Amino acid sequence: MNCDNVKEQLPEWLNEQLPAAEKAVLDDHLAQCPDCQQELSATRQLWQQMGKIRVPEPRPELRMQFYVMLDEFKEEEKAQQRSTWAEWVHQLKQWWEPRQALRLAYSFLLLGVGVLAGYWLQLQRTPTVAYQQQIDTLSTQVEEMRQMMMLSLLENPSATERLRAVSYTKEISDVDGRVIDALLTTLNNDPNVNVRLVTLEALAELATDARVREGLVHSLTQQESPLVQVALADVMVKLQMKKSIKPLRQLLHRDDINDLVKSKIEQSIKDLS
Amino acid sequence: MLKVKAGDLDKMGLLFERYHRELFGYLYHMSGRPDVSEDIVQTVFYRMLKYRHSFTGEGSFRSWMYHLARNVLVDTAQKNKRMAYHHDMVEYDEKIGGDLAADEPLQKEQELAMLQEALAGLSPEYREVLVLSRFQELKYEEIARILDTTEGAIKVRVHRAMNELKKIYLRIEQ
Repeated sequence: MNCDNVKEQLPEWLNEQLPAAEKAVLDDHLAQCPDCQQELSATRQLWQQMGKIRVPEPRPELRMQFYVMLDEFKEEEKAQQRSTWAEWVHQLKQWWEPRQALRLAYSFLLLGVGVLAGYWLQLQRTPTVAYQQQIDTLSTQVEEMRQMMMLSLLENPSATERLRAVSYTKEISDVDGRVIDALLTTLNNDPNVNVRLVTLEALAELATDARVREGLVHSLTQQESPLVQVALADVMVKLQMKKSIKPLRQLLHRDDINDLVKSKIEQSIKDLS
Repeated sequence: MLKVKAGDLDKMGLLFERYHRELFGYLYHMSGRPDVSEDIVQTVFYRMLKYRHSFTGEGSFRSWMYHLARNVLVDTAQKNKRMAYHHDMVEYDEKIGGDLAADEPLQKEQELAMLQEALAGLSPEYREVLVLSRFQELKYEEIARILDTTEGAIKVRVHRAMNELKKIYLRIEQ
């Protein structure tokens, strides 16, 4: 055992923490080694000196403060427990307060009335028929509006607007006399050739109507534009209008007739007869 | 303490009566200031109540107490970095040392004052092991558990602390 080891164990020796076996070895070494003995006495002196250091007593207030703190802590703890659990109960109680309950009942009642009313209304009207009726009314209204618009647009000084008016007739399912009259008037009197051509097209589609056919035949003698004359002749052939042979022949005798139109009309008369 | 943990908070009173002096002693040696030590004792007991659920029952109540006390001590030191260790220790000692002076020769008293100064000059690490082993009379095994290290390490540290103390003491003596 060397001196360094011994010196390291001195505090333990002083502290009486050294196991008996090790203490014996240490004692042996100390008996032989004056150097270590000196070290021991120096350390021991210090060690014993340290033992004389007094620790003052804590003031009595410390104890008092501790118990105050303990009490406060217990209160806090209780309050916390109450706050978690009792809050629940409290909330539940509040829920069942008479006024709250009344409100609740009132709102349920309102809800019930609403549901019943809705259900009753549902039963009251057979919805599909009602909707159908509504839609029918609406669509007739829209058609009426279209007719009105068409009729008023036909009076418009702008050729484009009049063209648009004519095109509306395709969307009108139930064409009445007023519309046909208006279209025939346009066909016979409109200053613009294009408008007249389009009108002719529209009237050709309405040819199932006797008035339209009569009007078309009648119109043959009134047309001056070769384009319209040719188009009319075509329509006559297409509709196989025997009645039109007579006015077509009249047209042939006219002086102002175009050569091309003449041959076209002759062809048409041949086709019809 | 296990009873406290189970909810019997009044048992904390018993623990206070049994340990508060020891705890105060430790804090006094560590901080050198009785007023600070008292505050920390209070704080430690408060933390014991608050964190009672963290007491596992493994290891003794004492080591748990020292553990908490060290933490508070560190917190306090950080909060109050300028707090000098030996600031009013000697002063306080003089106040309580009235009867000491009457019984013992003046020289002895001076020696003690010097020793305290030497202790104050130690690094906190060294001071701590000496306080725990010499003043609190804890076994190395317990100290090792409190400081979260091995018994061997404590042994070496105590030895070095003693050497250091000797050096400082001699320097003051001269």
